[in-house]
Amino acid sequence: MDPKTAMYIAQGIHGLAYGMILFLVASGLNIIFGMMGILNLAHAAFFMLSAYFCFQFVSLTGSFWAALLLAPVATAFFGILVERFLLRQVRGLGHMAELILTVGVSLVILAAVKIFWGTESLPVKIPPLLTGLVSIAGMDYPVYRLFVIGMALTVLAIMSLLLYKTRLGKIVRAAVSDAGMVSALGINIPLVFMLVFGIGIWLAGIAGVAVAPILTVFPGLSDQVGMDAFVVVVTGGLGSLSGAFIVAIIFGLLSSYGVQFFSQLAPVLMFLFMAIVLAIKPTGLFGERE
Amino acid sequence: MFWKVFIPVVAFAVILGWGLPLAVAADLTKANASFEVNKMGDMSDFDPNKPVIPTGDTIKIALVASFSGPAALVGQIYYISVLWAAHDINKRGGILVDGKKKLVEVIKADHMGKPDQCKKICERMVLQDKVHVLWGTDGSHLMKIINETANKYKVIAHNTASLTDDLQDATNFSRYAFMSSFSTDQIGRGLANYYGQRKKEKKFYILCQDYMFGHAMAAGFKKGLKEFYPEAEIVGEDYHKLFLTDFAPYLTKIKAAGAEVVYTGDWIPDAANLLKQSRQMGITLPFAHIFLDEPNFLHEVGVDGTKGLVQLSQMYTDNPYFKTPEQIKYYKMWNDLWKTKWQAPFNTKLFEHGGGNIGSYNQQTYWLLSVIERAASTDPEKIIKVWEGDTYRFVNGKTLKMRPCDHKAIQDLYVAEFVVPDEQKVDFNIPPHHWFTGCSYAGPSAKIPADKVLPLMDEKLDRCKGKNGWGE
Repeated sequence: MDPKTAMYIAQGIHGLAYGMILFLVASGLNIIFGMMGILNLAHAAFFMLSAYFCFQFVSLTGSFWAALLLAPVATAFFGILVERFLLRQVRGLGHMAELILTVGVSLVILAAVKIFWGTESLPVKIPPLLTGLVSIAGMDYPVYRLFVIGMALTVLAIMSLLLYKTRLGKIVRAAVSDAGMVSALGINIPLVFMLVFGIGIWLAGIAGVAVAPILTVFPGLSDQVGMDAFVVVVTGGLGSLSGAFIVAIIFGLLSSYGVQFFSQLAPVLMFLFMAIVLAIKPTGLFGERE
Repeated sequence: MFWKVFIPVVAFAVILGWGLPLAVAADLTKANASFEVNKMGDMSDFDPNKPVIPTGDTIKIALVASFSGPAALVGQIYYISVLWAAHDINKRGGILVDGKKKLVEVIKADHMGKPDQCKKICERMVLQDKVHVLWGTDGSHLMKIINETANKYKVIAHNTASLTDDLQDATNFSRYAFMSSFSTDQIGRGLANYYGQRKKEKKFYILCQDYMFGHAMAAGFKKGLKEFYPEAEIVGEDYHKLFLTDFAPYLTKIKAAGAEVVYTGDWIPDAANLLKQSRQMGITLPFAHIFLDEPNFLHEVGVDGTKGLVQLSQMYTDNPYFKTPEQIKYYKMWNDLWKTKWQAPFNTKLFEHGGGNIGSYNQQTYWLLSVIERAASTDPEKIIKVWEGDTYRFVNGKTLKMRPCDHKAIQDLYVAEFVVPDEQKVDFNIPPHHWFTGCSYAGPSAKIPADKVLPLMDEKLDRCKGKNGWGE
């Protein structure tokens, strides 16, 4: 295969990989925003927190795999605490109250990571099993990025099964549609919402672990991906996991091929796409709620 | 008759030929003031985690930088650098200004990396805290705001870290702003000069941040290649957004272009992510840089991944680094505290040696304080009078001159190639004879004489009209 074609293929895979990272971050935000109606501006901060937990668990156990298991759970635990003791107190007071509260939570998390871990970049190395390169179309490609793609697909599958093929998923979706009716049927709605919030934060945790070996783990990590994730959620449509997935892939490809062909425009292509989509369909590509 | 004319002409030519270079060289062989290790105060109690901050009638320096957000680490680096100098002066009893001995107070002013916040915090520092100096900063676009504020309220702005030449051009110049760091044109031309001398690599790819500084860095390098290495080829040029998440698409382009060196001005966190991701992708190209030197991420990448990086730094000198007992004494003063006293976050490898960028910011701050001392006043007009045309010698023996017409620093520059630990002894010539064991770091250095990299002068600036590159 000629080098130029190989380069284009590599860019496509880069786009997929970055798209998957965006999806991992955005999926949790999508679930929380779409299903609970909470604009959780602390989502990116939880993502960052998980990256720090990943560093800590790797340092303690020497195992990235242990961190992959434990860090999202730890992050979700903190998320559940936030929902149980903070967000629940302001439900019914409107979105502004939730927005302000989650901004505050974000700032607290940021301050906390500085206190516990400082401002310097913290290393999370790729596990030995995933180091190295594989040849794709004649061009070397990092194994770890392929792993990220696989992990995101796995998450998509798990979440789809959970939401659409299990009793729990049915309850969650029903609760989103008509909480009062579901409550009348004897379902503990606050518990359901706490669980949804926890799952959303767990997804942020998965994302944090996934990117820790690729990006510098530092207090600004949330700023790097937070806006992009939000754009994915809005463009894909609130509550639509498939929407988030498809749009994340589109954005990833826009990013990589944008760099290749329209380098100066690359940073704005996703926003341009968002503007076009929202102009045509304000609820997002696959959204049902505004 | 022929000989009567010929001999004087030859004599004149000889005098001009030999004398002028000597006269030029003399400008940086003498210094109005020097950093003197043996005059330092007792630094044994210096702890950046427990700073002793004087209050009241003090010389107030507002440290305008990011202390939150993506570049918070940079603010932390500045803080310890400035605080060290202030602590030293205070341990000596302060500086005699306006008839009183005054201590130096360092005030953190967090601009969060945002222009609107930068303006707000600068004005607060000047109007409420009554600072005498605005010290900055990470981001040339933010330093511009600092300079504007200084000009508006007539306080000194000390630029130690924002490198864009435009900050001191005809449009942006302020009498109150002094740029003691090197500048983008100097950096680009300095590295180009280095490669022009080396003539080992010929294909260069420019990858810089897409803002004022990044574009200026690229412009300087391109200009330098034309000047010093015309046969070199720029095989690609890209500008990425600040705080980029994914460098992979750019790296693939770079690899496909057949580049032999990547020139970049990227700083933390972009510098870390660029280097880290390139090595993960199996791209081992050397980077020609100024900020890919933070030890923590260098260690994350490892010895092989950092070998061959080429850095231009304000603090590099001719090999070896330590040439006098005083320099060793100064180094150990810092290093011993780091080993025995400092806790997180200052106990990491980043702060181990106190050289590099930390050393640069530190010495530039000493220059500022020396100027204030010699002005014997915090009156900006008196400070300006002393600083314009001033020469100052850093602890590493290098002398800088503040060009009077546009307040830019003239200096020799040095470029060093990163080598494996066992080879670092060529520079680190005291035990343990290496800077770091977990990564490659400064090895052989090459000098770029000041006259080769005189700061870019904007001839539209009235003060500079008719002046030569030395501002004379």
